This record gives sequence, structure tokens and C-alpha cells, in this order.
Amino acid sequence: MYEFLSQNALYIVLLIVLIGWVGIFSYLLRLDKKMTKLEKMFKE
Amino acid sequence: MLLKLLLGLWLTLIIIAGFSFPITETPTNWYDLPFVPGLEDKARIIFFHVPMAWVTTLAFIISLIYGIKYLAKKEIDHDLISSSSAGLGLMFCILATVTGSLWAKFTWGSFWNWDPRETSIFVLLLIYGAYFALRSAIEGEEKKATLSAVYAIIAGITVPFFIFIMPRIVEGLHPNEAIVSKGKISMNRTMLVIFLSSLSGFTALFFWILNLRVRTERLEHKQSLKGD
Repeated sequence: MYEFLSQNALYIVLLIVLIGWVGIFSYLLRLDKKMTKLEKMFKE
Repeated sequence: MLLKLLLGLWLTLIIIAGFSFPITETPTNWYDLPFVPGLEDKARIIFFHVPMAWVTTLAFIISLIYGIKYLAKKEIDHDLISSSSAGLGLMFCILATVTGSLWAKFTWGSFWNWDPRETSIFVLLLIYGAYFALRSAIEGEEKKATLSAVYAIIAGITVPFFIFIMPRIVEGLHPNEAIVSKGKISMNRTMLVIFLSSLSGFTALFFWILNLRVRTERLEHKQSLKGD
């Protein structure tokens, strides 16, 4: 795996982009959940 | 929730396909991407940079529409949507500028070349930067919303000119022929599918973030009313 990645730099960039995307996506999901909770609290 | 998870998966697949599908001079397999002379692997930026510019346009147009709606109905919710959309548009505009500039360094030799599209996006950054300077300078909710709506309409009218018309009037460095050449789409089917999927994925992502931002603004507005 390490040998493959060291010979194909593009896949290292892909890995970095994927990690970044998963992070941003999880953050958005969490934010969405929090917003729904807050909206419920405001309604009560 | 399911739709959001599907969007996450959709964009993940686009990233994987956009990066890993091979570029060949004679595409034969279904997953082969065409070779663009002078760009090689750098042609892959099309799957990410162009959707960012598209979302910028969409956001500014939505800001214009809700600016008109605010002036017609005087509902503060329309101002919240208009300003939130302009804010997101500005964010995507900065992302498109930064990604394009990095790409330009390795393709054209310089981070900034005053290509017609670069000039257009620079002017748009200034216009919408001024929009937020205007908003922050005005006291009073109604006055701020009214002036912002008028500005959003005037600014929004210039967007199609800067994005679609100006770069077609003046010759530039952007490799437009990689997308459309002599009125025909020059991408092969695989590239076109990934490109259109990315456009739709970015559009859905934009609407989700806009929804989150508008809901936050509404809560803040309710809170400020309680405080008054």
C-alpha cells in the first residue's frame, strides 16, 4: 500500500481530499441535528 | 436524513471518480477520461472548480430573487434568505478564485493573469464584499433590509454579464474548448456524467448549507426580538 501510494502521488491527494470531505460532511450533519434541537427548544 | 447521507455518498463517489479514473489519449473503456492537450491530469479540476463557480452564480441569483421578494412583501425572512445566499455565494466565489489561482500557477505559470474570467470573478468579489460592508454600516432592521435588497438586485443583474457574457466577448486563457468546442460538447460520456453529477451534487450541497444558514439567522432574529 505504502509503495503504491509513494509511486502514485495523485492517490495521496485523493486520500487527503476524502478525509477533508468526510470531516466537512460530518460537521454539517452534526450542525443540522443541533439546529433541529434548538428550533424545538425555541418552539416550546 | 437519508437524502443527506445519499448526498454525502454521491459527492464521495464523484471525488473518487474525478481523481482516479485514468486519462488516456484513446478512451476505450467506460471509465476512461479523454486527454486534453496541455492539461493532462490538471483537466480534473473541471469536476470541482466549475461547480464552485456555478454555485456562486446560483447563490447571487437567489440573493437577487429574494431581494425583489423583500421589496415586494417587506417580509424580513426574505432579507434573511437574500443575505444568507449572498454570503454563501461570496464563500464559493473565494473558493473558486483560490482553486483557480492555484491551478493557473501550474498551467499558465502565474497565480494571477487577468484573464477575462479572473477579472470577472475579482469584480464580483469586490461587488459582494461591498454588499456586506453596506449591511454592516446600516443601523435599523428595515432600512438595512431595504437598502441591501436594492443592492442585491443591482449586483445580481451584473452577475450573468460577468460570468457568461464578458468571458465570451474577450478572448482569454481559460480552456473553454475542453468543455464546449464549436458549439458541441467536447467531453466524452464518462467525463460529462462526472461533470454533471458534480454540478448537481454541489447544487444540492449549496441548498443544504443555505438551509442551515437561514435557520441560524431566523433563530438569531427571534432571539434579538426577545432581547428588544
